[in-house]
Amino acid sequence: MKLTRDGWGGIAVFGFSTVLFGMTFSIPDNPLVPLGPGFYPRIVLALSGALGLWMLAGDLLAKRVAAPAAPGPHLNYWAVVAHFAVFGLYVGALPYLGFRLSTFAYVCAANAMMDPPRGARGWARVLVLGLLTAGLAWFVFEKNLSVLMPRGRWTGF
Amino acid sequence: MFELLGQGMLAMMAAKYLVPLVIGTLIGVVGGALPGITITMTIIVVLPFTFGLEPLQGLAAMIGVYVGGETGGLITSCLLGIPGKPSAVATMFDGHPMAKKGEPGRALWLGIWASIFGGLLGAIVLVASTGPLAKFALEFGPWEYFSLFVLALSMVAGLVESSLAKGLASGGLGLIITILGADPVMGKERLTMGISALDGGVPFLPVLIGVFAFAQIMGEVERMRPGAAEEKIGAGLRLAVSHARVIGEIFARPFTLLWASFIGLVIGVLPAIGGSAANMLAYDQAKKFSRYPEKFGTGVPEGIIASEASNNANVAGSLVTIMAFGIPGDAVTAVMLGALTIHGIQSGPLFISQNPQLAYGMFAAYIIAHAVVLAILLVGVRWMLRIVTVPKAVLFPVVLVLCVVGAYALGNSMSSVWILAAFGVFGYGMVKLGFPLAPFILGVILGDQIEVNLIRAVMTDPDPWLFLTRPISGLLLAGSVVSFAAAIWQHRRQQRAAQAQDGDADF
Repeated sequence: MKLTRDGWGGIAVFGFSTVLFGMTFSIPDNPLVPLGPGFYPRIVLALSGALGLWMLAGDLLAKRVAAPAAPGPHLNYWAVVAHFAVFGLYVGALPYLGFRLSTFAYVCAANAMMDPPRGARGWARVLVLGLLTAGLAWFVFEKNLSVLMPRGRWTGF
Repeated sequence: MFELLGQGMLAMMAAKYLVPLVIGTLIGVVGGALPGITITMTIIVVLPFTFGLEPLQGLAAMIGVYVGGETGGLITSCLLGIPGKPSAVATMFDGHPMAKKGEPGRALWLGIWASIFGGLLGAIVLVASTGPLAKFALEFGPWEYFSLFVLALSMVAGLVESSLAKGLASGGLGLIITILGADPVMGKERLTMGISALDGGVPFLPVLIGVFAFAQIMGEVERMRPGAAEEKIGAGLRLAVSHARVIGEIFARPFTLLWASFIGLVIGVLPAIGGSAANMLAYDQAKKFSRYPEKFGTGVPEGIIASEASNNANVAGSLVTIMAFGIPGDAVTAVMLGALTIHGIQSGPLFISQNPQLAYGMFAAYIIAHAVVLAILLVGVRWMLRIVTVPKAVLFPVVLVLCVVGAYALGNSMSSVWILAAFGVFGYGMVKLGFPLAPFILGVILGDQIEVNLIRAVMTDPDPWLFLTRPISGLLLAGSVVSFAAAIWQHRRQQRAAQAQDGDADF
């Protein structure tokens, strides 16, 4: 029997809850609190595990009517993966390159991916957006709102 | 009460508070008008700017965003047929046909004035009921709080349309997030899996920012076609209108205005449902009570008035819940709750008595924000149409940078940024698996409080029957059971209807 996303979601919730439920038995009890720090997590995890099973059972028992596939919009999951990767690189680079450099690089990369620049004018747009975002964000937060932005370990900047 | 409100209004007129309120309202109107950018996203973007401000300045800006966003959403709904936000979907049903029939100004200003009146009607209830409700909440012990939070969670999970099990599981996942890290009673470390970023628990703001920002932005990214030209709009529209006539049209339908505002308020008070449900329900009610329901969808004023009055009154309802009980009415007030916490202010029933200046300042900000919205739209509604054409390729990277700044500034630590990124992926995954986000967020917000009150109640008196035998607690738990049963009944009914339709199709 083929599972739908409900079934897979149920398996994920059940699996996650079960693993954590097992881990609650290694939480040491606290003599000051009779119920202990593992008491409430066990209730929550038992309930969420049961809900995961409910989702899975509901999906397995559901009566499915074969419907003709409706033409939906084409979803570009590669673009999503690429954007998550670029954002991950940005977050990873922040402590090493500092806020200004990594933000400039991230905004340029993300903008170029979403709207690929054509010709010198397009690249100028990408660079200006990166510079403006990094510069303005740094100026507003660091200089005016006293929010200290990350400095780069490699750049000191 | 009125003296404190007057003082709040006077304080709010000072440039120190008025400037953040005006800027917040302007950002809210623009954010609300931008299709694909919700008010939650807008307030998340504004959040880091409030860290360096006084609490009331920051809250004034956020209230401005909230009120401005609810009104701004109708601009694109009416004029383009693209809802600026989910709570303006029903506005589009009649606003856009009216605009297409050659009356864009009438459609727009019916919506704007209905928003203003709905919001101000909500303000009366907000000011009058928050104090008494907070006093009532002072009677609550840990049993009642536990039951109240359980009721809130079960209502939200039960209201999810797609699947009851998924709604509840989503709330359960939110609760699981709160059991990672230090336990809230004794601070003992648990279930950290050796990840040092989890030692102190998972802060809810980076989770909320990550889940909402990425779920929304990546949802748009997967539909983007690089190089596709974005629509150019707004040229040649005649928006001039007689305001007296438009106001007269609204007051000629007092029942629609009052009933829609009431619906918006009630839905706002109920946790985590929000304006998207309020505007649809109010529209549906206006249609049911109308003498000409068949004309709805062709450009009737009642449809616009009902939708817009309800979604602005909904803001007042959400503020009642957060100020009287400390429970966020929706994701926007959840961010406000976070902002209060950052400034060391405890929300809940003692909030008004301990911070009267702040509380009445918030009431004043809410009322004045409506005048500010009106002024902004009177001056710049045409410019708004140009601003909303900002390409998403420009907007999204900037929004994500501001999300990073917001998360980082919470504790000047990268761990919040990693949590933001991790929950960005998690939130997108949840959306793709069809889990609703509202119960998850409410679970994350209420999880610690549920645990603290459960442990407190059992430590005070180990008799578990007290949860049922104490009258308020028992009533709240009964409400939770009723809400759960109603949700099951509704889902069964929907399933039967769907099966009946399939059966019809076979023949």
